[in-house]
Amino acid sequence: MNVDIALFAYLSDHQPDGKGGRHARTFDLPEGTKVADVIASWGLPDQPRIVFVNNRHAPETAELHKGDRLAIFPPIAGG
Amino acid sequence: MRELLFVDMSTLSIERKPLPEKWHRYGGRALTDAIVYDMVPPTADPLSQENVLVFAPGLLAGTTAPNAGRLSVGAKSPLTGGLKESNSGGQGGHALGKLKIAAIVVTGKPADPAARYMLTIEADGSAKLDRVDAWAGMKNYALADAIKALRPTDDRYSTITNGPAGEAGLKASGIAMSDMKGYPNRFAGRGGMGAVMGSKGLKAIVVSDKGLPYLEHADKEAFNAAMKRFSTALTTHPVSGTGLPTYGTNVLMNILNEAGGLPTRNFSSGHFDDVEGVSGEKQREVTLERGGNVKHGCHTGCVIQCSRYWVDKDGAYVTKGPEYETAWAFGTDCGISDMDVVAGLDRICGEYGLDTIEMGNTIAVYMDSGAIAFGDGPAAIKALKSIFEDGAPGKILGDGAEAVGMKFGVEHIPVVKHQAMPAYEPRAVQGIGVTYATSPQGADHTAGYTITANILGVGGTVDPLKTEGQADLSKNLQIATAMLDALGFCIFVAFPVLDIPDAFVAIFDMTAAHTGDAWDTDELMRLGRETLTFERLFNEGAGFTAADDRLPVWMKTVPLPPHNTVFEVTDADLDAVWDFVPETANAMGLR
Repeated sequence: MNVDIALFAYLSDHQPDGKGGRHARTFDLPEGTKVADVIASWGLPDQPRIVFVNNRHAPETAELHKGDRLAIFPPIAGG
Repeated sequence: MRELLFVDMSTLSIERKPLPEKWHRYGGRALTDAIVYDMVPPTADPLSQENVLVFAPGLLAGTTAPNAGRLSVGAKSPLTGGLKESNSGGQGGHALGKLKIAAIVVTGKPADPAARYMLTIEADGSAKLDRVDAWAGMKNYALADAIKALRPTDDRYSTITNGPAGEAGLKASGIAMSDMKGYPNRFAGRGGMGAVMGSKGLKAIVVSDKGLPYLEHADKEAFNAAMKRFSTALTTHPVSGTGLPTYGTNVLMNILNEAGGLPTRNFSSGHFDDVEGVSGEKQREVTLERGGNVKHGCHTGCVIQCSRYWVDKDGAYVTKGPEYETAWAFGTDCGISDMDVVAGLDRICGEYGLDTIEMGNTIAVYMDSGAIAFGDGPAAIKALKSIFEDGAPGKILGDGAEAVGMKFGVEHIPVVKHQAMPAYEPRAVQGIGVTYATSPQGADHTAGYTITANILGVGGTVDPLKTEGQADLSKNLQIATAMLDALGFCIFVAFPVLDIPDAFVAIFDMTAAHTGDAWDTDELMRLGRETLTFERLFNEGAGFTAADDRLPVWMKTVPLPPHNTVFEVTDADLDAVWDFVPETANAMGLR
């Protein structure tokens, strides 16, 4: 199933194509893939993350569906 | 031991008095509020001699407490009509702290409206007023240079300056403070404090702390131990230790966009397709390519170091690296995706002394009127400059978003208590809507920064799209923030403090060890509640009612894409935010 995945701030280094950048790429993932599975297989650093699926906060246990957009941020903040 | 420096601009006299015992536990915002409450009739005209302008460093200013050098500026606001505290970084806070000046209190008004004065405070504590009429209309960067030419070459001093916007009495004017390199690029931006400074004929304040040591503590060992724990919390928490130093505040642009809460084109959507050009990541990449600095603190003693400089294609300094609020206001809210345009607009505001949040909103509202097009960078620059050109229709722009919206018949004017909203959409982030509506400061994000739990997962999580928990979240953050503002801390210490309990303990340990007074959680929260109580009572006296603690009606009726939600926190929940005020006022002896 096709899922768009975008990584932000210093996480964008972990995009599999090695090209960095914040734009989403489309990936063909197995049915039933969870957010946590993507995090594990891409080797994201072990620290708190902020996860959005389709522009809403989602837990890492959330299951992804065809056409979803997944966006992950490292711990960031500002004012 | 701390003193008040009274500067009377009617008689041009300066007097030092001991800080009254009743204000012994106050600094920063608590002290500016207490003094304005005490001295200014709430119905006063903010540009008359009845208003006062107060500059107060925090309770820990002048010490080595990390991130404790912020400076509070207080007065009755010409923009909101309420009790304003405008908070800034820069070097002035610690300088005044080392001088043991609890506050500079500027009163009165010179008889001659053409007169301009500079107040100079030397390291030996002496203070004088000099007439500087030739500096009338001088912009902030030239002013900083003019002051430098007067100071000894080996001096150590900070500047607090008023640009042409303040001199013209514009409601969107702010006051510039010097950073560690002496650039006048830190700001007490919100609420028209520049206009108050201008009404008193005060063009500049220079504070020299050359040769002055850090202050002594009641218990030096206890202070140093607590300071180390606090510093460790700041540098090891991923937000204050990694995220902020790497990207600065503008790292927020992409996450608010992802959440659908990034106000775009005058709050007409929560998502900006062209966000990449004004994002924090892009800002960092371009700055590095051009050889600019991407990490420094805005004041001595900052260990977070979230500031940076923006440079042009040749690597020359243009302005302070635009903060998220500025990149949003002049970028996303105006439909502009070019950071060089944003930086140019920021530099203009820095020169003239204008609040970038208010001015970005003002340009966006002006665009919404059809006068110029969304996304037209050159037109935005021309409009901003037109404020200061004779005969231009743009002069009204300097009075802010509401004034422009009303004059040009714009339907959606994003203000509360006449002050324009910062970079978070209440319809998609309900918690910040509570803060915007209820804060005595008007629409203000730092006053009760619910983005922590609503978006960032700091200090817990509260779903931004639902109403549950938002009023309590805002209320508790407003109290805690007022407390941090009174101590002189940069509010970014809140990120580690919300997640690391010992960081909060370290705050009152430092405060107790420095002052010799008993401080604990209850005392800190009391400080926060008392600060807010001054503001609520003053505003009540100025004529504010519950009707002023509301968002614009259209935010309750017009759904915001992409989530297509409206603001739904009830009026009853908004009003309950202030349920602690009567009891606090009673305990303070004010009611």
